[in-house]
Amino acid sequence: MRRAVIAALALALVAIPSPAEAYEFWVRARSIGQAYQLRQYQLIGPDLFLGRRRYTQTIALRIVDIGDLSAERRQQRLPDRGLTISWQSYLRVDHDFGTFTSGRMTLSPSIRRDAIDVIPELAESTAGLDLLYGHLTIAGLAGDRVTVQLGRVLFDDGWGGSGVDGTTVRAELPGRLAITALAGLRVRAASPLGHHALELDGTSGAGCQEYVEGPTPGTGSWQLIDRNRRITNSRLSSDFELCPQRQVWQPTAGVALATSRRRGGGIEVGYRRTWSRTVGVFDGVDRLAYPDVGLYPNEHGQAPAHGVNEERLYARAHADLRAGSTVLTPYANARFSLLHAAFDRADLGMRIRRGDHVVEPTFEYFLPTFDGDSIFNAFSIAPTTDVRVGYGYLGSALGRLRLHGSAWLRRYAEAEALPSFAGGVDAGIEHAPSSRLRARADALWDDGYGGRRLGGTGEIAWKARDDLWLRGRAIVLGVREEDAPAYVTSSVVLSSSYQVSEMVALHVVAEGNHDEVSSTQTRVFAVLDLAFAPEP
Amino acid sequence: MPRFLRYLPLAVIAALAIVLGATGVRAERGPDDAWSPVVYPEQRLPLTFSHRLHLARGATCATCHPAATTSRSAVDNLIPTEAACRACHPIDRAEPQRSVAGAPPAACTTCHPGWSPDRPVARVYLTPPPLKFDHSAHVKTPCASCHGDMTTVDLATTRQLPTMASCLACHTSGSQERRCGDCHVRKLGGLLETKFPHGELVPRASGLGDAHGPRFSSDHAQEARQVGATCTACHDQSECVDCHQGVVRPLGFHPGNYLLTHAVEARRGTPDCSACHRTQSFCVACHERSGITTRIPGAFDASQPGGAFHPPGWATAGVGPNRHAIEARRNLTSCSSCHREEDCLTCHSNQPGSLGASPHPPGWRGSARCRALDRGNRRMCLRCHITQAELGCDWSAR
Repeated sequence: MRRAVIAALALALVAIPSPAEAYEFWVRARSIGQAYQLRQYQLIGPDLFLGRRRYTQTIALRIVDIGDLSAERRQQRLPDRGLTISWQSYLRVDHDFGTFTSGRMTLSPSIRRDAIDVIPELAESTAGLDLLYGHLTIAGLAGDRVTVQLGRVLFDDGWGGSGVDGTTVRAELPGRLAITALAGLRVRAASPLGHHALELDGTSGAGCQEYVEGPTPGTGSWQLIDRNRRITNSRLSSDFELCPQRQVWQPTAGVALATSRRRGGGIEVGYRRTWSRTVGVFDGVDRLAYPDVGLYPNEHGQAPAHGVNEERLYARAHADLRAGSTVLTPYANARFSLLHAAFDRADLGMRIRRGDHVVEPTFEYFLPTFDGDSIFNAFSIAPTTDVRVGYGYLGSALGRLRLHGSAWLRRYAEAEALPSFAGGVDAGIEHAPSSRLRARADALWDDGYGGRRLGGTGEIAWKARDDLWLRGRAIVLGVREEDAPAYVTSSVVLSSSYQVSEMVALHVVAEGNHDEVSSTQTRVFAVLDLAFAPEP
Repeated sequence: MPRFLRYLPLAVIAALAIVLGATGVRAERGPDDAWSPVVYPEQRLPLTFSHRLHLARGATCATCHPAATTSRSAVDNLIPTEAACRACHPIDRAEPQRSVAGAPPAACTTCHPGWSPDRPVARVYLTPPPLKFDHSAHVKTPCASCHGDMTTVDLATTRQLPTMASCLACHTSGSQERRCGDCHVRKLGGLLETKFPHGELVPRASGLGDAHGPRFSSDHAQEARQVGATCTACHDQSECVDCHQGVVRPLGFHPGNYLLTHAVEARRGTPDCSACHRTQSFCVACHERSGITTRIPGAFDASQPGGAFHPPGWATAGVGPNRHAIEARRNLTSCSSCHREEDCLTCHSNQPGSLGASPHPPGWRGSARCRALDRGNRRMCLRCHITQAELGCDWSAR
């Protein structure tokens, strides 16, 4: 029956011809191979070296004007207006064939397990198939005032991005304002083709627990969930891992009002909320010795039906002002976490540009916050405040000499028995004597809490032929961490980019590191870059 | 930090809103900023000419530039040829010094300074601007709207070509994300073409979206977060993802041997690790596999003399420096790069067997943060406080 259906579908596809549409599309495919070793420190005996042999394939795709809805305007050289439909996506396959991820670990003389079973977080580089974004964009609705995106859409409030499987709608309003609404399911590691880096931080990546009731209500304890699970002996996923709360949907909604198409500055205020239902009884009702009240203690109904994972208000603004020949660009950004009743991010700065010289003082405030499910939110956490000053010389319009320098000072609110400050300076110069040669040197020094670093980098890039770039980079860095002896590390990186043909390039990078811990360490990786762009 | 400082950014945002909204502040372009040498490449105009004199004598724009009314491309050369000049100037190449009484000048040197019979005429070089422009669609718009007041100009240069600001003075429609391609040339896939033989197109004119300086690739947060940022006009989103959710260490961002030295930056959280990495997955996986945790047997356990990652007395209860509390208050994100919640709950929990040490800040009960977290997501509370009596923040009524 199934074969008959497939045959019928295939026949239908062949038998029903349709006119070919000339879509304009752009594809960028990259094949990345990396080979290097990482040290596994051993308390007794020599350290082990674990291999990383990663293969990654990425495909970025853009299809513009699906259906040729805008072809007539293009032919008449009129601006992009009216309905157009386009697609953008980025798909990645990633796997580590090395022993770091795919190897086994000895837990005791008689117990050896797959590393991924012991450390489930390693699954993130095992047989990964991630759709980092992929959405249809319908632009030009309602008199070119409305744009809709459908699919996996990335969003960003200025301090970190994430994604939703859903939709965003942007509408241009009178008065040069625009409103953007966002709704969907937040992308998690457990989402179809989901990627862990888009998930909120702070909740355990593994070792998830459930509340197991005791003889009398309220006397239970939290215990690992995995004890009764069937071992599947899969090499590509953890046999012991089960984290139901990390697998539920996280509905997300947000709205932002911003100035639009306005020169001289911009302002945006926004709100975003992500929540999830509380996991109740799962995986059978008779697993436990006493009545199963669900994943959380709930004998008196104290577990909420839903919990907020993130709820934030944010605002950002900047202006471009001119005072004589000086351009002043003040800016301010702030984010308030309603879940924590606290500002967690804020910064304030001014870019002052006169000719090709730019000075930028900034002030930053940061209070760490986490996914609403994380207990870290309830911990005593102190904020940090930073003051920074940056300088840049941008060179003339096609300038060959560029300079930069910056200094920063951080104050820690928590000052007990530790340095209350950290700070540093860095500076660099870049010089391009010709269009084929570019050299750059950087130096940095920082000190205070966290440790001391002093060092520099020298870099040279040479276009040996029209199709061949060669680059070299040398780094020397002295480091003194707290509670550890000082050491010096040096590193040399050689790389080349060879353009095989118009749309094909091959990059090869070799890195050699020398330090007192590893003596000499070598890393090699190569990237085959295919930017296939046929004529429309 | 003084409390008022926390509200300073909000106060500045409000002030900027008032300035922008009430006074309509607009950026004015200076003579240096407005004409990009990439959009308008360098010209060579070995000519003598005065628009001012010609307009004063009654000539109109169309008199010398008749093709401007029908031109549909910025590539079209609309500069009048010698034939157009002949309509008024009695030019005769056979008589280079010709002068006709009562007629406009006709000598070659009138327009071609330094010309001599033994040398070819110096050529005019105009590289077409990489722009889309349709003169015929603007035929109802006065020329001066875009080219300025030519009655005061002698030889016209790129300074008499319209700037982006002058275009946007009229072109206020269209969704923001599509307007760049109205004038700038797109390449396949819809992104703007930025690389030309005479230079690379980078934003130079505005304040924050300024030229992509030497550190732009590693320090562009403010440019990216500014309202109305037009990054995606030139950059495919995959360029962001390649670094921010990438699988290859950007060599220009993390220095060589970063695996060994990253602890200094990670402890400070500078640069912001969370811009690319999730500590409870990325960091934990690597730290555990490298043996820098206590969860893996044989790794660096505090019970092993001299083998602990942290110094003695790190997490002792009631005795010793107990420095972990200070470090956790200062940078909990750094702790969570190795430790999961369960590690903390060993001591910081009300469950039987735990030390019952409170991780909360002083004055937690009744604080606004306690109430907000309890109201927003009680699940986190239930990890330590199991019974109904332990939950909630308002204990004054109990």
